[in-house]
Amino acid sequence: MDKIIFYEQLAKILDLEEVKPENVLIDFEAWDSLSVLSVLAMADAKYGASIKAEEIRSVVTAADLADLVASKQK
Amino acid sequence: MKCIFKNKKISAIVAVVPKEEYRFDDEYPVFKLTEDKAKRFKKMMSLDRHRIAPPDVCASDLCQYGLQQLLNAGALKKEEIGALLFVSQTPDYFMPPTSNVIQGKLGLGHDMVCLDINQGCTGFLLGFMQACLLLEIAALPKVVLLCGDTCSKQMDRCNRISYPLTGDAGSVTVIERCERESPIYMDVKNDGSRHKAIMIPAGAFRMPATPETLKLREVEEGVVQNLQHIHMDGPAIFNFTMGDVPPQVEEVLAFSGDTRDSIAHFLFHQPNPFILKQMADKMQIPQAKLPNNIVSLYGNCSSVTVPLNIALNCGEPLRRETRRVCLSAFGVGLTWISAVMDLGPLGVCKVVDYERT
Repeated sequence: MDKIIFYEQLAKILDLEEVKPENVLIDFEAWDSLSVLSVLAMADAKYGASIKAEEIRSVVTAADLADLVASKQK
Repeated sequence: MKCIFKNKKISAIVAVVPKEEYRFDDEYPVFKLTEDKAKRFKKMMSLDRHRIAPPDVCASDLCQYGLQQLLNAGALKKEEIGALLFVSQTPDYFMPPTSNVIQGKLGLGHDMVCLDINQGCTGFLLGFMQACLLLEIAALPKVVLLCGDTCSKQMDRCNRISYPLTGDAGSVTVIERCERESPIYMDVKNDGSRHKAIMIPAGAFRMPATPETLKLREVEEGVVQNLQHIHMDGPAIFNFTMGDVPPQVEEVLAFSGDTRDSIAHFLFHQPNPFILKQMADKMQIPQAKLPNNIVSLYGNCSSVTVPLNIALNCGEPLRRETRRVCLSAFGVGLTWISAVMDLGPLGVCKVVDYERT
């Protein structure tokens, strides 16, 4: 997985200029259930990754999220 | 579970919606959303408006009104009603069954079956399956399937995730025997291990209602709910709709020997336009064949979404001719049901506004 592209896609979902790997997701104003849904949809559509509810709830940083999606990528 | 029903047809569909229409643009300040967040939410979920029943109007009222319309128009006679099915998760009472209450109000005969079915989103298809089974009773002329819900009463008006996407509605569908074999192919699946994904935790007998269960809690900004409200696990529901439903649709198409080309319309339950579009793209079903406007215009109306979808988007052609359709519904249970069948021509296929009588 090209993580640079992933962070760009995540930034787009969160309506931000840039997202860094070390950013803590809950610090983002836009990180709500809508964003989570968009991320799940993106993971499924672009990476063929199916993320479980408890998995998405356990990630802390953007890097954690990227690793999670990468680990589930088909 | 694969089923085939033969010599059965739907002969009428009436969807009934409250007159009271509310627009997202007027409602969003209540959800504690900034204008930017509201715009983003509105765009993502294609929100526009929904219909909400007044406090004293029940799902059964909406259904009864539709049934009365059919009786008044002579499209159905009281003595033809051999079974009255009422599918709802917002019944009038815990006891007696609401189908009995409606039977009494309409002065229907005693020689008939009254049956309430506790189901939500898959309720129309489950009710239709039950109707086909009841028609095996030779003495039973026709089945009237009523689907109705007032889910807006099972959430807080300030809950931005649930309320703007929800609508109240009722429907009446007449099912009867026919000469033509016209097989109906259906697949029914259930997974109760995931029942917590869509649930109302308190108010029945596992966790009875108390003042505690009515206390509102903020689960995230602008999302308030108590234990007697509908709780939805977004990620679990997303994985369910994307993971389990498409394979079932493929299965039922293979079962009936159909392809995406041979199906004229894919008339699905609509949880929200965002998820439905993801599903349609994943299944490579062209947008023109899969209407995705119910939530934007009326809100997600639980079991009524499918018949409303049929009447709103295909009412005109279905009144004239036969179309091959793929129906699919999925939700609380978790339950998912898909079917392929010929539909139409229908004597009646329309959407009406509820009028108090």
